[in-house]
Amino acid sequence: MVDFLRDFIKVLRASDVRISTSETIDAMNVASVVGLEDKILLKESLSQSLAKSLREKEIFEECYENFFKESYMNFSSPDDKKDDNFNDANKDIDSELDQDIFPGEEDLESMYNESDRTALMSSMALASREVGLSQIRLFTQTGMFTRKIFEFMGLEKLNNDIFQASREGNLERENDLKELRERIRLEIRDYVEQQVKLRTSQSGRQLREEALSQVRLSQVDRSDLAIMINIVRKMAKRLVSLHSRRKKKANRGQLDVRSTLRANQGYDGLLFETVWKKTKVNRPKVITLCDVSGSVANVARFFLMFLYSLSEVLPHIRTFAFSNKAGEVTDLFETKDIEEASAETLLLYGGGSTDYGQALIDLEGFIETEIDKKTTLIILGDARSNFGDPRADILKSLQEKSKRVIFLNPEPKGLWGTGDSEMKRFLPYCGKARYCSSLKDLERVVDDLLRMAF
Amino acid sequence: MAKAKLSSTNKSKESIEEIQANFEREGYICNSHIATAIYLSQALEKPILVEGPPGVGKTELAKATSTWMKKPLIRLQCYEGLDEAKALYEWKYGKQLLYTQVLKDKLNDIISDTIGLEESLESLHDFDDIFFSEKFLEPRPLLKAINSNEGSVLLIDEIDKSDDEFEAFLLEILSDYQVSVPEIGTISGKVRPVVFLTSNNTREIGDALKRRCLHLYIPFPDSTLEEKIIISRVPELDKKLRMHLVSFVQNLRELDLKKVPSVSETIDWGKSLVLLNIKTLDPVIVRETLNVLLKFQSDIDTADSEIEALVRVSLNETK
Ligand SMILES: Nc1ncnc2c1ncn2[C@@H]1O[C@H](COP(=O)(O)OP(=O)(O)OP(=O)(O)O)[C@@H](O)[C@H]1O
Ligand SMILES: [Mg+2]
Repeated sequence: MVDFLRDFIKVLRASDVRISTSETIDAMNVASVVGLEDKILLKESLSQSLAKSLREKEIFEECYENFFKESYMNFSSPDDKKDDNFNDANKDIDSELDQDIFPGEEDLESMYNESDRTALMSSMALASREVGLSQIRLFTQTGMFTRKIFEFMGLEKLNNDIFQASREGNLERENDLKELRERIRLEIRDYVEQQVKLRTSQSGRQLREEALSQVRLSQVDRSDLAIMINIVRKMAKRLVSLHSRRKKKANRGQLDVRSTLRANQGYDGLLFETVWKKTKVNRPKVITLCDVSGSVANVARFFLMFLYSLSEVLPHIRTFAFSNKAGEVTDLFETKDIEEASAETLLLYGGGSTDYGQALIDLEGFIETEIDKKTTLIILGDARSNFGDPRADILKSLQEKSKRVIFLNPEPKGLWGTGDSEMKRFLPYCGKARYCSSLKDLERVVDDLLRMAF
Repeated sequence: MAKAKLSSTNKSKESIEEIQANFEREGYICNSHIATAIYLSQALEKPILVEGPPGVGKTELAKATSTWMKKPLIRLQCYEGLDEAKALYEWKYGKQLLYTQVLKDKLNDIISDTIGLEESLESLHDFDDIFFSEKFLEPRPLLKAINSNEGSVLLIDEIDKSDDEFEAFLLEILSDYQVSVPEIGTISGKVRPVVFLTSNNTREIGDALKRRCLHLYIPFPDSTLEEKIIISRVPELDKKLRMHLVSFVQNLRELDLKKVPSVSETIDWGKSLVLLNIKTLDPVIVRETLNVLLKFQSDIDTADSEIEALVRVSLNETK
């Protein structure tokens, strides 16, 4: 319990709640008076001893919810286990528990495959404590902590197993294990990201925005939505100003000497009229196809928000959304405000089981007559098609008719082609395929897109 | 281990419910947050700093606690310029003066009775000691509360109205619950008082003081709680009308007003409606009695155009 309070108080302090040593002691006393079973009672009691103004109470509220949601409630045992630390008589049970989930000992593979989430999470929590994750403050430390935690949880053994399998030429097992390694790594990374988020919550909006722009969009919390939308706006504004400057410069063109001379022949060599070379403006035509099924919904939502915030430099976008059947939502975005439209898109087309084949058939029907060599087709999705035929052939024909196909996938490359991911089959027909899971990634992709357009 | 934990949580919950029930019996209606604060302040022997908008029952909470604990309520109302003399103790100058008079009359006797100068000075000195004894001390609320052997409930009301100096002085008192009077020595009682400080947040209370206190924020009650308060304070009000009235006030608080109506105003409004023998809420009645709820003319003007809508909403909400 001492541990949990110490961590929690750190979180509060990082969130601008001033807490003195005497208040820390009060909080411990309070916790031992009311016990830990009743989270609501505990919350109110701690709030009365730690948060001393209305503002601090509001921050407290947020931190408490996050803290328990993200680091303790999930695990059935560590919470209880920590309570016992308070009570020396229970050391036995304590060490027993510790042994149960001792990292490195437990086989990561079986833990994951038996979908023993509690064990995995416990092991992760323990490793996090061991490597001092509660010290994390900067987003740039995510990778380092992820690795440390992974190592503590038994990365080495897993690597050895992979090596072993590869030496034995057991390709299937090798790939399975590699996928497993990637998945666990992601799981840890998500956890670490949540922790950074938590620890920067409220403390310095800038830091928070910075952190949020790098957080995986699938991890974004509802409570952060407002900030995220704001970040999108800012990024879009930055891009618009950057690219409209480029555009102006490009449009100005150069003096066309020859035409000028020709036009002025009648004036005896005096130049009355100047003729400028015109640069041809390539208004990019963009068609997007967004997977809005559960796994990708959040990313899609922000992607669309992003694109449509750029209407000044990207005026013509047609948008199609799907989880199985695809439909056009361009009108929604042209008539409603962006957030509303993207929310509605998810409502209309989200939630189904994903079928890329069907979606591509539908898309082809919609755009057959329009697609041309000026068209950029952007597909956003995880390419997980529930083992149906993904109809890569349609993508191929679309690619041939268009200027370029860009595939944005929120899953890291390591997972492309694993399980029901058809990414490998799409890849040959994509001019570009990018891992794209955070606002930062989106910004980069869109920036690229605009660069190519002018 | 599970058992030990179970009992501490359950024991606490029981005590908290008991406090809540007892308060309710005394006519103070509160939620579990408030009762939790009372419980913790007893367990940890810490003062409670109560903040919240006017009229939500901050002062009343101290009164209810005093009744419940059967300990006298000692109230120190704060104001600008409040000083030690008014808060802690004063010498009884009048009595001292009177005493000097008597002393003067007796002086000749005393001196004539004695032999040498030294001896007479010695005798005078003894009188001096009596002069500054507890007999001549006028205790003010803080001293009364501290120097008590049965305990008391000390209410330091509206601490935000006092100045920083007084706050600093209070800090000392609240850290050792004893007072040192230079002429007499240290005074302290057997039982520490239960201390409440209230603030309306007209200024920010210092961190040092806050550190010494548990902090309870009482917001406006939600409609369920407010109805319960009305049941307790205006029992003669018809049930349906009570629901409408509470819902109306709750909605009225959403308007952009200079001073939103507080619980005491809801109570007053309820009482007025009973006096006027009103049975149902309608815009005409509301207009006629609105000055019970709203104290500023500008607020009354703001609300005026919304009254029809507000009444309609309250009637619907409570169907
Ligand atoms: N929870 C409650 N139960 C019963 N009565 C209440 C309650 N809250 C407020 N009241 C009534 O409202 C009146 C005002 O309460 P009180 O004077 O305690 O408010 P306050 O918060 O101290 O206000 P101020 O900030 O103006 O001093 C009390 O006389 C009491 O009748
Ligand atoms: Mg008061």
